This record gives sequence, C-alpha cells and structure tokens, in this order.
Amino acid sequence: MSRKHLATIKDPDKEVPKIAREMCAEMLKELERANRPVLEAIKCSLDNSFYDHKVGYLTPGEKTVKTELNVSSVLKMSRSVFFLEILLRNLDSGAVNTKRELYYIAKGECKQNKKLKPLDFNDQVESDSIIDFICELMEIYREEINCFANDRGGQTYCQNLIVTEHMPDGTKATIDLSSLGTTPFQPKNRPQSFTIKPKKGQIDFCLVVESEGTANTLVTNGFTKRHNAIVMGAQGVPSNGVRAWAKTIQDQLKIPIYFLGDLDAYTMQNIFRTLKAGSAASLIRNKDFSAPEVRFLGVLPDDVKKYDLTNYNVDPRDPVEGRSLKKAQDALANDPFFKDKKNKGVSEILDWLIKEKRRCEQQAFFMVNPKDPQAFEKIILEKIKKKDYV
Amino acid sequence: MSSSKITSSSTAEYFSKNLQQVGFSSGTKAVLTTLKEAIDNSLDACEEAQILPEIHVEIERVGQGTQKNMDQIRVLVSDNGPGIGAEDLAKVYGEYLASSKFGRGRCSRGQQGIGISAATTWAQLTAAKGVTVITKTKRMPQALKALIEVDIKKNQGSVIEKKNITWDRPQGTCVEFFFDGRLQLQGEGGILTYLKGTSLVNPHLSLKYKINKEEEISLERVSNDTIDLPDAVSPHPHTMKLGEFIHHIHLFGKVSVQNFFEKGFSRISSDVTNEMTKHGFKKAWLNRSLTDLSKDEQHKLYQALQSVELMAPSTKSVLRIGEEALSKSVDRLGEVDFFSVVSRKPQICDAKPVVVEVAVARLKNRPSAEEEQSAQVLRFANRVPLQFDKAACAIVKAIESVNWKAYGLAQPKNSIPLGPYVIAVSVVSPFIKFKNASKETIDASDELVEELRLAIMQAGQKLSRHIKKELRAADYEKKIQHIEQFGPILIEGLGRITSASENQLKKAREGLMKILGRDSEVALEDLKKAEEAHQKMTGKGGASSLSEAGSEEEASSGQETEKSSDKKSSKKNKKDKNDDEQTTLALEGDA
Repeated sequence: MSRKHLATIKDPDKEVPKIAREMCAEMLKELERANRPVLEAIKCSLDNSFYDHKVGYLTPGEKTVKTELNVSSVLKMSRSVFFLEILLRNLDSGAVNTKRELYYIAKGECKQNKKLKPLDFNDQVESDSIIDFICELMEIYREEINCFANDRGGQTYCQNLIVTEHMPDGTKATIDLSSLGTTPFQPKNRPQSFTIKPKKGQIDFCLVVESEGTANTLVTNGFTKRHNAIVMGAQGVPSNGVRAWAKTIQDQLKIPIYFLGDLDAYTMQNIFRTLKAGSAASLIRNKDFSAPEVRFLGVLPDDVKKYDLTNYNVDPRDPVEGRSLKKAQDALANDPFFKDKKNKGVSEILDWLIKEKRRCEQQAFFMVNPKDPQAFEKIILEKIKKKDYV
Repeated sequence: MSSSKITSSSTAEYFSKNLQQVGFSSGTKAVLTTLKEAIDNSLDACEEAQILPEIHVEIERVGQGTQKNMDQIRVLVSDNGPGIGAEDLAKVYGEYLASSKFGRGRCSRGQQGIGISAATTWAQLTAAKGVTVITKTKRMPQALKALIEVDIKKNQGSVIEKKNITWDRPQGTCVEFFFDGRLQLQGEGGILTYLKGTSLVNPHLSLKYKINKEEEISLERVSNDTIDLPDAVSPHPHTMKLGEFIHHIHLFGKVSVQNFFEKGFSRISSDVTNEMTKHGFKKAWLNRSLTDLSKDEQHKLYQALQSVELMAPSTKSVLRIGEEALSKSVDRLGEVDFFSVVSRKPQICDAKPVVVEVAVARLKNRPSAEEEQSAQVLRFANRVPLQFDKAACAIVKAIESVNWKAYGLAQPKNSIPLGPYVIAVSVVSPFIKFKNASKETIDASDELVEELRLAIMQAGQKLSRHIKKELRAADYEKKIQHIEQFGPILIEGLGRITSASENQLKKAREGLMKILGRDSEVALEDLKKAEEAHQKMTGKGGASSLSEAGSEEEASSGQETEKSSDKKSSKKNKKDKNDDEQTTLALEGDA
C-alpha cells in the first residue's frame, strides 16, 4: 500500500475540524480514483509501548493499525464518518457530551433517518469503539472533540492554592481553595484550561491518596491547616481528569508529589503506574495525562514490618486475586515501565508482592496509634522527612 | 449352616426367574428384546448361509395383557434364511445355552444362546404359550409348523404341536410370539429407532415392517453383496485365564504339546517356545502328550506362556461394514443433508481385535427447536443396536470427550453435541466386553474409548469441511449485503463533511462499486475454492454433494484416508505382507 493513500494527519498544530475534513476529502478522492482509502492509527497496546525515564511516560512505537476499505471494514468506516459528522457538529456549536449521550444521539439519528438505519448501534460498546478509533486516527484526546467523561476523582484540598479556569467563551473563573472549607475542588478533565499558583510563597508538597475517603479524613482532621500542602483524592484508578490535574500541579507548581495507596499488585500497576507514566491504552495522550515526578510513599513492604501492620494473604486460587498475580508477573516480564532500571524500587515491590503473596491496605496505618487522631498524619510526615518512599 | 435341603436348579429355571437380566425388565424392553433376538437370529442365519437377507416384521397390540398395565403384543419375524432342521427346532427356541456360536471367536450377533429361549420363556410366562415357528430348509419337501415351549425344569425345548404345511417359499423361518408388553415406537428405546439402526449397519438387508394397522414400510437393501464372515481364529494365549487353559488342554486330549501349540492357539512360533524355556518351560515337553502332563506341569506351561512377549492377537476375525456400504445406508436414517463416514482399520484393544466405524449425518427439515437438542446417538455392537443404559457406554464416553466445537457444532461442556445430527458408532469384535448380560452397554476401557475417539474425531473433521463450506457461502452473502447497505451511506457522509459536488459523489460511488465488486469477486472465488476442495475431498463434482447425493462421494473420501475399500491396494498389500490387517482389507474389497 503506497503511503500516498494514507489519510493520516499527524500535525498537532492543525485544528481538529480541519484535520477531520481533510481526512474525509482524502478518502473521497481515493474513492473517486477507485483506490481503497486507508485509515492509519497508532497501535495503542503494550507491545507498542516504550518507556524512557528521561521522558517519564509510556510513548508509542512505530506500530500502526491500518484500516483499509474493503467489504469487511466498510461498516466500521461508514460508522466512523457518521460519528465524525456528529462530533464536528458539536465542535461547531460548542456542545459537549459524554460517550453515553453520544451513543443515544447516534441512535436517534439512525432512527430519524431511514437511510442511516443499517449503521444503528446495538450497545454503547460499539459506539465507544468508534469514538476511540476516531481519537486514535486523529491522535487527539476525546476531550478535544468535546466528548467528556463523568468527572471522577481528583478532589483537591489546599489552604494556599488559587485555580484559574479559562472558559471556552474566553472568560476566566478564579477559585481560592482556602475559601471552600472541607468541600473539595474537583478539576474538569481538560488540562490546558487551568492555571494554578500559590496564594503566597511556595507550597511544600502534594499528597495524592488512593482513597478519597481517607484524603477527606486527613483534611477534616486539619492536615491542610497545619501543613502548606495539597491533598488530593485519586478515587481508585485515576481518571483522565486526575491524571491531567496531577500533571498540572507537577508542571506549574514544581513541587514534590507523593502517592499513598494500598500495597497490592492492582494499585502498583493500575493506579500508581497510570498516574506516573500513563497507560498503554492511552499512548497518544500520556504526555499530557501523566505526572512522572510522582513518588510512591506507601504502603511499602518495609512499612508492614516496621509498623507491624495487619496484612492479608493473597490466594492464587481465587479467580480475581489469581488474575492479579498473573498480571503482575506479566508486568515484570513485559511492561517497559517496570523493566526500566530507574523504576527498580517499584518493580521490587511488585516482585515482593508476587513472592510473599501478601497485601496491606493504606488504612492499616490507623492501627499504629489508635488513640491519636493525628497518628496517620505524623507517619506521613515522618516518611516524607526521612525520604522513606520509592 | 442351615439344615434345609440344598437343591440344584436348571439353567432355564434360573433365567425364568431372572429374565430382567437378559432384557425383559419392562413391557417396553420385552417387545424390543423379543424383536431384536428374532431379527439377530435371522440375520446371523442368512449370513452363515451367504444369503442376502429379506426380513418381514409385524408388530401389533392385539388386546389386554395378563398383567396390570400391559398389552398383549404380537411379534412376527420371518426371513428367507436357510431354515432350521426339525431335529434342531426344540434346541434353538427352547433350550438355554444351546448355541452354534458360543466361544467361536466370530463376530456374530448372538453368542451364548440365551436370547431367543428367554423370549420363548417370557411368552410362556405371560401368555401361557411359547413360540410358533414355521421353517423350511431346501431339502424339506414341506414346511414344518410347530409350537415350541421351554421345559423349565429340564432346560429342554418341547415341541407341543407339530405339522407339515405348504409354504409359499423354498426356504426360511418365521417366528410368532404373543406376550405381555408395551409398544414404544420413538425415542432411544423405540422400535422404530431399532429398525432404522439395524438397517443402517446392515446395508445388505431388505426390511419390511408393519406396525399395528399402519401401512407397511419397506426399506430396500442398498448393497447386493453378501457378508463374507471372517473365519474364527484360534485363541490368543494372553486372552486366557488358567482355568480356561486347563479346559483347553482337556479338549485336545491325547496330542503332543507341540501339536497343541500349533492347532490350539495363534501366535505361538518356535521362537516363542525358545523364549519360554527362560521361564520354566522345558523343550522336551514339546514331544510329550498333553495327557501325560502333571497338574504342576500344566501350571508351569501356562505361566511360561504368560511370561513371554507375543505378537498381538490376530485381527483376521473382525468384520467391517465398510465406508461405501455405510454411506449408502445413511440415507435410510431419514432425509440426510450431509454426512461423513469413517471405517477404521482393525485395532487391538485390551488384547482383543476390534474395528470401529462411525457415521455422522445432519438431517434435513428438523424443527428449529431441535437445534438446541442433543444429537441422536446410535450405538452398535456387532451390528446390533444398543438402546438402553447409554450413559456408562464406551461409545457415549468417547463422543463426549471429543471437542465438537472445533468442527463447527455447538457442545455443552463434556456432553453430546447439539443440533440435528445423528452420530452412529459401530464396534465389531468377536469379544465385545458388555457391562451386563442384556448387552446394552459396552465396557469403557481406556484403550477402547481412545480408539472410538480417534474414529469419531476423523468423522468430525470430515464433517467440519462441509460446515466450513456453508460458512463461506454465508460470508459471501454477508459481503454482498454490506456492499449494498453501507457503500452509499459512506459516500453520502463523506460528501456532507467535505461539501463535495454531486459530480464528485457520482465518481466516488462508481469507484466504490469497483472496489467492493472486486471484493465480492474474491469472496466468490473463496467460495468456489472451498467448494472445489470439498468436492476433491468427496471425490466427485457437482453441487449435489452438499446434500443427499453425497453418499458415494463420502465413501470415496474414506478410501483416501484408510485405503480400506480399495480392492487393488488390498490385493497388493496382501502380496506384500502377510499381515492380518491386509486380510481384513481383502475382505472389504471382496465385499
């Protein structure tokens, strides 16, 4: 297949509607010549992921997925062009939608226009895959085509932080987080729309806690009053919003970021790795959706011993735990992030988890001095002070 | 110990009290077993006499039975066999364990001589009347009609009424039973299932049957070749127990050990006797008379024989239906869409020769609800359908162990596959190991299950080629549909986004049709290739090979893999090697 038939546009400076229209024009031209248009997208998978600690996040390799028009792919291509039309209309009008809403919009279009009926989607999985395909094809984030996920995680608390949001209509909104009390600020997942700065002086550090509940406990007990720090709840696997927000904090404030979560294989691979270096599924947007400076504060295997923390056995025969262990073994063997020598500390933790088959929760720190409500806070500060992190 | 008097009873007395052990445990089974025993006898007699069998069956409910919830059933089976001499009539129908086939090491249906006497006993017990037999041999000027009953005390047959009559045929036998039973036509234990099964594995059989007042059904033979029964072979020493061995010695009496080895067994050569000397056998014994051997020496002889390595038993004695005959017979199962047959070479399983043959057929016009039902399994042992207690049978275990999904059939885990299929599996061996005396279940030894599994897998592989061809055809249809549906939508979408002119769109439509037309041509080409491959496999051209006309083509496919039906190859092989396998191949060729 000659390169001239490829309808890929990889110039990041071009506007999305322009890229889309050029791509469609190219497809049409190929059809007029009775040539098969080829859509080429970066292959977003672990076997096409590379990691360089100097870059700090997973980047895509040379592998691409080419979709050539033929009888088998004509449905996918027709659906992609159909969806592109809806998304371009949104971009023109400034309307935004979630994937679920777009699924119903597409269904509505198919219902109202009999000609489009063959394209109808049976479930959201089908329409989601088309949206993802369009993003990979144009190397854009879905937020760039006004498709937003539900905001989840990223609840942020700080007494010394001013956030300015640049609105699509050109206006600005300024939020002083010290005025919010124990109510968190939750960022939208459009990283370029925020500028942040300390109210005065410098902020000392940012603490990202896996459990949003525990983050809120720290704040309610006065953590952000006593310390010049940002506390953020990740709420499980970090969403695009959380990842972009951590990156914003890292780049604009240039302060250390520590992550506190459970000691288990799932947290190491799915939560911490994604926050720090992105994921294989989002290779094209890891640059803006990862914070390479994040450190793993705990729970460390040494913490379990040092603080005599209650921990649990991981049963390889249990379907969920067994799969998690197997994934951890695969990660050590194949994941370029864990294979990089700079991340030796993290891979050693993963190795310990596989060998010992134990797990320990972040809340286990509360058992160290149960009568002292500030004991957890003290442990965190002591660990930061002693550089007891990875 | 009890002081009560110990009495001995006759074999007939034992069976009359335990008829459930030989297939008379319910009314339904009683009808089926009686029918089966009568037909087995007819088929065996015809085959012995090299006659193409013509069997006529009548089954009807004639009234109320003598027992609760039972009907009185009449079963009549007549054949064109050689007939039975007057002197043998009482023995055949009225005496237990009177058999011409017992322990001969041949693949006959009947073996011990229990079945038909048990049927007479059942009729006697439930209707107070034995079996009415009409028989005529070629040498008899008139036919003989007699009522025969079992003298239960003495285990002897009694001829109650006997007279000469004029009969409309030169030879044959006709039996008529009246007894208590229940008529079940369909299902696993049904009469029709039995009759269809019997016709499948006996391609040379012409069968007419009339059930109740229904119209007579006629199944014509599909093969005009008589069955050439393989000769029995001498026993293999490793298949004998010590007691059997000593009995064997007594049978031979005053002959030399050398002679005993040569005539009484297979696989004992001079090399073997040399080898036996390492295990307590003395060479000098070879010239001694068997009767001179002491008990201790007889034991030593047996142990030495068991200690040496011997060639596997001969497979000469097994009989095959053959792929060609089986293929022709498949159509008698119903309207067959397509099928595959496999006839394996004879193998040794559990030190006994055995041959496995498989036919898998997809039936036409089955209701869609049956798509989700299990395939019908037809089991055969020495060409007799097995209809009860299938769960523990070696054949069912082998079918369940095969991954049918790989061949395009739906299959719940470790179960019989689903769909409108019939899986017929035949095991033929002079020594089939049944689980019970009523011969309903073949014992599932690992070796036999593995042999069955291999045969079934071969049949499944052949079948999958048909199914793949169907998928190709469906794929082609789908592609054509895609072109018609999505092409215009794609062009219009691109046109709206780029604000293209009508002229551009027209050109793009033409371009698209060229591209997709090329694709459909490729798909059509794939379909043609699949069809050609299929036809090559089946050995004949023509689209009809997909359906009922596939029978002959399928037969030749078997020849490709097994080369068993090929007369030339079998003759050549016979010259090249003096091996049992080739002898069996020759039999197949001759047939």
